[in-house]
Amino acid sequence: MNFETVVGIEIHVEMKTKSKMFSLAPISFGLTPNTEVVALDIAFPGTMPRVNKEAVKNAIRVSNALHMHIDQEIWFDRKNYFYSDLPKGYQITQQARPIGSEGYLVINVDGKEKKIGIERLHMEEDTCMQHHFSDYTLLDYNRAGIPLIEIVSKPEIRSGEEARKYVEKIREIVTFSNVSDGKMEEGSLRCDVNVSIRPYGSDKFGTKVEIKNLNSIANVEKAIDYEARRQSELLLLGKEVEQETRRFDEAKKETVLMRKKTDAADYKYFTEPNIPPIRLSDEFVKDAIDTCPELYDEKLYRFLNNYKLNEVDAKILLASVEMADYYDKAAKFTSLYQPLANFMISEVNGYLNKNNLTISKFNIDPKFISELVELLQSKKINSSQGKQIFEKLVKENRSPLIIQKELGATLVNDEGTILKLVLEVLDANPTLRDDFKAGKTRTQGFVMGQIMKKTGGKVDPMIANKLILQELKK
Amino acid sequence: MKHILDLTIAEIHEALLEGKVTPLDLTKEALRRCKENKDNAFEMIIEEDALKKADELSKMPVPKDNFFFGIPYVAKDNFSTKGYETTASSNILNGYIPLFDASVIKYLNEAGAIMIAKSTLDELAMGGTGTTGHKGITFNPWDKSHTRLVGGSSAGSAVSVSDAIVPFALGSDTGDSVRKPASYSGLVGFKPTWGLVSRFGLFPFAPSLDHVAYFTRSVFDAAIATSLLSRHDENDSTSSYKDRPNYLNLDSSVKGKKIAVIKGIINSITDKHVLNVFDKSVNFLEKNGAKVDYIDFNADLLKAIYPAYVVISCAEATSNDANLDGIKFGPNYGGKSYQEVMFNARTKGFSALIKRRFVIGSYALMRENQNEVFLRAQKARRLIVDACNKIFESYDAIYCPAAPSIAPFINKTSENVSEDFMIADNWLAIGNFGGYPSITLPIGFENDLPFGANLICKPFDEINLFNISLKIEEGTGLKNLSYPKYMEEKEAK
Amino acid sequence: MKSLNKEILKDAANRLLFDMNEDEYDTLLNEFDAIQRQLNLIGNIEGVDEAVPMTFPFDVTITYLRDDVPETPLTQEEVLRNAHDVKEGQIKLPKVVG
Repeated sequence: MNFETVVGIEIHVEMKTKSKMFSLAPISFGLTPNTEVVALDIAFPGTMPRVNKEAVKNAIRVSNALHMHIDQEIWFDRKNYFYSDLPKGYQITQQARPIGSEGYLVINVDGKEKKIGIERLHMEEDTCMQHHFSDYTLLDYNRAGIPLIEIVSKPEIRSGEEARKYVEKIREIVTFSNVSDGKMEEGSLRCDVNVSIRPYGSDKFGTKVEIKNLNSIANVEKAIDYEARRQSELLLLGKEVEQETRRFDEAKKETVLMRKKTDAADYKYFTEPNIPPIRLSDEFVKDAIDTCPELYDEKLYRFLNNYKLNEVDAKILLASVEMADYYDKAAKFTSLYQPLANFMISEVNGYLNKNNLTISKFNIDPKFISELVELLQSKKINSSQGKQIFEKLVKENRSPLIIQKELGATLVNDEGTILKLVLEVLDANPTLRDDFKAGKTRTQGFVMGQIMKKTGGKVDPMIANKLILQELKK
Repeated sequence: MKHILDLTIAEIHEALLEGKVTPLDLTKEALRRCKENKDNAFEMIIEEDALKKADELSKMPVPKDNFFFGIPYVAKDNFSTKGYETTASSNILNGYIPLFDASVIKYLNEAGAIMIAKSTLDELAMGGTGTTGHKGITFNPWDKSHTRLVGGSSAGSAVSVSDAIVPFALGSDTGDSVRKPASYSGLVGFKPTWGLVSRFGLFPFAPSLDHVAYFTRSVFDAAIATSLLSRHDENDSTSSYKDRPNYLNLDSSVKGKKIAVIKGIINSITDKHVLNVFDKSVNFLEKNGAKVDYIDFNADLLKAIYPAYVVISCAEATSNDANLDGIKFGPNYGGKSYQEVMFNARTKGFSALIKRRFVIGSYALMRENQNEVFLRAQKARRLIVDACNKIFESYDAIYCPAAPSIAPFINKTSENVSEDFMIADNWLAIGNFGGYPSITLPIGFENDLPFGANLICKPFDEINLFNISLKIEEGTGLKNLSYPKYMEEKEAK
Repeated sequence: MKSLNKEILKDAANRLLFDMNEDEYDTLLNEFDAIQRQLNLIGNIEGVDEAVPMTFPFDVTITYLRDDVPETPLTQEEVLRNAHDVKEGQIKLPKVVG
């Protein structure tokens, strides 16, 4: 029997606001434990929550990108449970009235578009970070209270591949809108997936298994595919799928049991009495949307139409919002858009890969990259000089024009000097003119090669070519 | 009069302006009385810092109209006080030293008021008797045989003002925790509109019902305190943005005012003397031009006040106090797992009474019970508030005895939830349900023990409330009542 | 509301991470009995089912949201000052599993 895989995904996105969701503690993702904490974050009695405007704007922006209905009255609830990482003994979240509801996003599967429904998007606060050691655990409250967006999909995802594409798309939205770093490996984007299977054609859901601790998008796909196989094998053997929580073991490439699910936990939700309902004006919502940083699709459109880039290159530049932003900045200083793109993709990316860096760590003034591209395109230097200048540029972050001067990296473009060189070659090879006239086209290239050899390639090839032709014809 | 400290805030301020007394004189005397008091009213006496501050203030000119300059005061031990252990009279908070001041503490300190002590309360403010704090029973200063309770939960603060130790004490009021003890100790106990005074730094019991409230010995002093404490505070998201009127611009006129007395409350009172004295104060209001009507109120709703209060307050409390687990602060007895650490801290830290309330609250919130317990209580709250609001459409105020009797005997009191409650013993919670301004003030005595009446107005109608209260106070003549002064006058007769 | 017994109450208490002695559970059972009956009375009040549950005492809707500007945090020493068990600038617990 063949089974259909049914997947629903819950994604937690850590926002990169300057202060926390309900407290004024700074967020800088610093490494020193317990240095980004105010009284509320460690639940000292008498502290009270204050809602962060930027966090609400972020939630509106992502809701809008996901075509969701936006609730213009903000309500919060308490989710009550005890855990070592939960300082207040409850989490402030939006259970009854999520800010975003009933939306969708579109993914591309086998060349076809597919809509994945999204049930809800709500704001909440993160828990503290636990560091586990052999026989104890240490608690760092820096993370406690960082704003989160939780996005809950409908169970409309049908394969590991679709899940991967769904998460990629969400990641793209939250990073391009500047809401989050969206780094799964660092935990700023976290996925819990629910997987069940059922016979094709059935409209009932099978028993679902939750998979936690997925630390990369690739693993989302692998874990779901493995889990669907595991479940179908169970059913084919006449066994039952049990309701449980599993995690993905990266080494074994399989899901392993964490715990059996007993009764669904009762979080005893009730309205947070310390935050009154907050009415969002139409202007506020509109402004949040209007000021949302450009999302992927809009950016792609602009790169193709304004910069006239080819699609493959545009998509390479858009692989990360930081790379796209860098390109945008550099493009302000040149109109050689495609050469700039080429340079970014080959030279800059090459440099980053070689040095194991990301573009966000590339501190070179984008203007200098454009200057270098202009230099190269104007043929005032050749490509090996270009490489030389680039090497110095990434070390010193100074203008390529100055570096060029210092290196004396110029091309000979004085006609008299070049003519002299051409004549020297012709004189040393008296048969060349006749060969040329006899139709041997290679002659031209031979002369150019000799000139370049003599000068170490520092001759303007356009001028040289013109003069070689002129002299051979004589 | 033995000392200027015996006077009201307004009078002491005059004396300070005239140079008849200094903040240091007042503070020394307050500390002396504090230490002499035998009613188990204090968690901590803050002697050194209080004297130091008083000394500094004594060298400064007294600013006119800053009524709290140089005034010694006491704060209930559920207000966060920077650098001073704050336990809310619960063992689970023993040793906890806050890193910040509650907003009201900050306002008082900035005005030049001098905090001389932190006072006892029912554990975590979850009681109405003053008998359940971790230091044991707080006694009524009017009964030197120590057989009667002073009421709670703001027990120690009530003692502080009625024993003339200070003219002002901070309390908190979730059901009647200032207004009931005020009745039992002959004080003015005032709870402003919800959101008028910041709760930032008040240890929460049930935030949707919690109020900062305070004891004074005159209505005007309550207005003075409101002038200082009522302001928008960005630290409390529920703090009102409304402009505050001048609370001292009062005329004590009741002419044309319409006042409602709820028959169902009166009818549940058996103490004839209480009723007679209450009638007299009603007559006085009428004589002064008020129109007083005895009105009906749905009896089922009156009966619903107490259970709705128990359910809502316990439910919110179980969540608010979930942060008390021995991990971040408070005593930690260790354990083999984090659950055990928390379990030990909570089992040893809370009294059985508190635990029972948490179970009640938690049970009310459980998924399978929420509709029939918690939400039903919240619905009842809505109906009760709607009924009150209906009254306020035609009346300026609701006026009734604050309690059915003088302070009860300790040995005849129980904090257990039961069915044999009296409406008149629990009706003040409507003030919390609707967030209404509500004031208790003394109206009479029985066997030399005071009792009071309570007045409630619609939200933000403090001026009306103070004006009517001033007239009642004028009628009773019971202004600046304290146990020492009462005894002195009695002996003089 | 389900019918209650001591076991249910014990379980509820343990989920709140504390225990009590047996007598207290008896007292609690009696208290629940009283509450139960009173809630039933409330359930009979006309219009109660249709009423909107009330959290806030009156309309307190606001439009204000706090600007995203951080304040100076506590020092690490202040954060940990009231904690009982501290190691390497963090609060220490027995190993948390699951």
